[in-house]
Amino acid sequence: MLETRDIPPADGYVDPVNSDPKAFAAMVNSWVPHDIVLKDAWFPLAHGFAVTEKPVRRAVYSQPYFLWREGGVAVAAEFHPSDRLTSGKSAYSNAAGRYPVIEKYGYVWCWFGNPDNAAPEHVPSIPYLPEEGGLPVHMLGTVRFDCTAPLSLENLIDLTHADFLHADVVGDEKMDKETVEVFHDSESITMVRTCVNKSVAPIMKWFGGVRADVQQVRQVIRIYLRSHAAIAYGRFSPGDNVQLFHPCVPETRDRTRLDYTMNTSNVKKTNPFRYIMPKASYKVSRQDSSMTSPQSPRYMNPEKRKDLHSPLDEAGQKYRVLMLALAERQARGDYAYRDNVSADCSELIGYDGT
Amino acid sequence: MPDVWWAVARSEEVSQSRPLNADIGDQPVVLWRDAEGIVRALEDRCPHRRAPLSLGCVLGNGMIQCGYHGWTFDGATGHLEDIPNLKSKTRFPPIYKARNFAVAESGGFVRVCLDSKAAPPRPVDETLPLSGTAQVTLGHEHFIAALFDDPSLVIAIRRVRFTPYLMAELAEQDGRLVLERSCQWATPHWPAPFSSDFPITLRIATDPVSGESDLLLRDDAFNPLLRATLAPVPAARGVTQVRWRARLESGRTGINARSMGFGRGSPFCVLSSVDAAALRILKPSASIHAAALRESIATAAQSAGAA
Repeated sequence: MLETRDIPPADGYVDPVNSDPKAFAAMVNSWVPHDIVLKDAWFPLAHGFAVTEKPVRRAVYSQPYFLWREGGVAVAAEFHPSDRLTSGKSAYSNAAGRYPVIEKYGYVWCWFGNPDNAAPEHVPSIPYLPEEGGLPVHMLGTVRFDCTAPLSLENLIDLTHADFLHADVVGDEKMDKETVEVFHDSESITMVRTCVNKSVAPIMKWFGGVRADVQQVRQVIRIYLRSHAAIAYGRFSPGDNVQLFHPCVPETRDRTRLDYTMNTSNVKKTNPFRYIMPKASYKVSRQDSSMTSPQSPRYMNPEKRKDLHSPLDEAGQKYRVLMLALAERQARGDYAYRDNVSADCSELIGYDGT
Repeated sequence: MPDVWWAVARSEEVSQSRPLNADIGDQPVVLWRDAEGIVRALEDRCPHRRAPLSLGCVLGNGMIQCGYHGWTFDGATGHLEDIPNLKSKTRFPPIYKARNFAVAESGGFVRVCLDSKAAPPRPVDETLPLSGTAQVTLGHEHFIAALFDDPSLVIAIRRVRFTPYLMAELAEQDGRLVLERSCQWATPHWPAPFSSDFPITLRIATDPVSGESDLLLRDDAFNPLLRATLAPVPAARGVTQVRWRARLESGRTGINARSMGFGRGSPFCVLSSVDAAALRILKPSASIHAAALRESIATAAQSAGAA
């Protein structure tokens, strides 16, 4: 039987999740993710290796970002360097049309919002990625989701979908017990799913050398709300731990780009799982898109009919409410970070360096 | 039009192995056969996260399971019966249901009414053996108007040419829109404008709302040559999905009538592509009175209902 319990956030925070249950339910059911555009956030717009002297173009909510290197240092601008016309410059870049840029965890992060508010401490914590980058290219990849970014993340934080949609990769719903815990603050939400005697993930059986029929699983999804970036950390026994960084960049309000990193450097070099697992994203992302793509237009406008929910949807519901609360704060002009997203979250996600 | 019965599938298109998606206008519908082989219809939208149920699967017990999170629904009522990950035999409140629709199957067609409590339509006893489905890039109303004004733009009958001349203009008969068009054999012949008589006619009897039409091709001795039923259903983005069934009658006499049975493929079909250039300049003729006739039929039906 499923057990769920919520861990209250730090003291002093006016929490939209633990407020009036009716207000909470109303927010859950007013979910129109297409309308949410959060600002003042770092977005990992490109893998470090993809940014060279030749400019590449990226977008956040259709806002153009051109990325290239000057003297080896990554820079980002609103205009292509060969296009000097800056008369239409937006408020998202400085007087020279440049965006704030940070290179960290193997990504070029660009600021979306008021450039004056850009600060290094707003880059999310990703404990299992080396800050200086340098992971081999076979652990990196790009996939796209044909949906709005919040739906893609709502999909991720509700891992029960994996038992049906990705059963051929990560295993089906057969298990003895499942427990879901949810932690949150104003800038992030973390879901911890513990499964007892769950069917072994086929990809681990076929390529990871796992011979058992069942395994003990602890999966953590942590979403940094503003950056639309998630970390997915799974501990499998028997089996190797899975360390995925899953940033959903909203290129437009209905299409999402994912430059992922699946760090399998913890897996033995002789184990095919080290090389196969990062490629699973190509299959899994299309499976996700098969559902989220038809979902997306159905969440484009307010809908009178309420979604139905089960206790398994606790994390997804709270994700909705936290996103809406953040959007509501920003609508009032409050762009401040109330919680520190760069604080090391190793303990919270259960990462011990392996 | 919640009380209209729409033929959204042919019987052979609906199975116990895989759900089928259909549209009625902007309303997506999922169809499948339950464990007893009865066709079920629900809104093709899981009430949990709005994913299409047609992307899921039909379970051995005849229920449909959403492919996203495994929510499982009973086809007869739409009630949620199971959330597999809950690992319990929870009974769900009545509001935990997918929208269900009324279904009727007869004559080789599966008909759906968006009003789940609608009275079933009069069953059709005969199932015509030839069948097909065409997706026509023409709106429902325009498809029917083209069928009335120039059938050659939307259907084809082997060896038959449609003329611009009617034996009987569009009129109401037993609550349907009926016309009879003169036709010629597709052989060298005197041009239609100069012909005194035509060897065959095509009678079209159309439901004023759904557009479902019975076609009867007869020779000049009133011998039936071919029967067909067309079921146009408005689908998404202005497309009309047309399911059809047909039968070439036996005992056809004359070389032309007999030769309808020779050749590859079906002697009857609905055209998927419409000659837009010809359609654009097609002048309304038989269809001119259709709107007024529909209105009078609807008024008569309302009066009969009130009485």
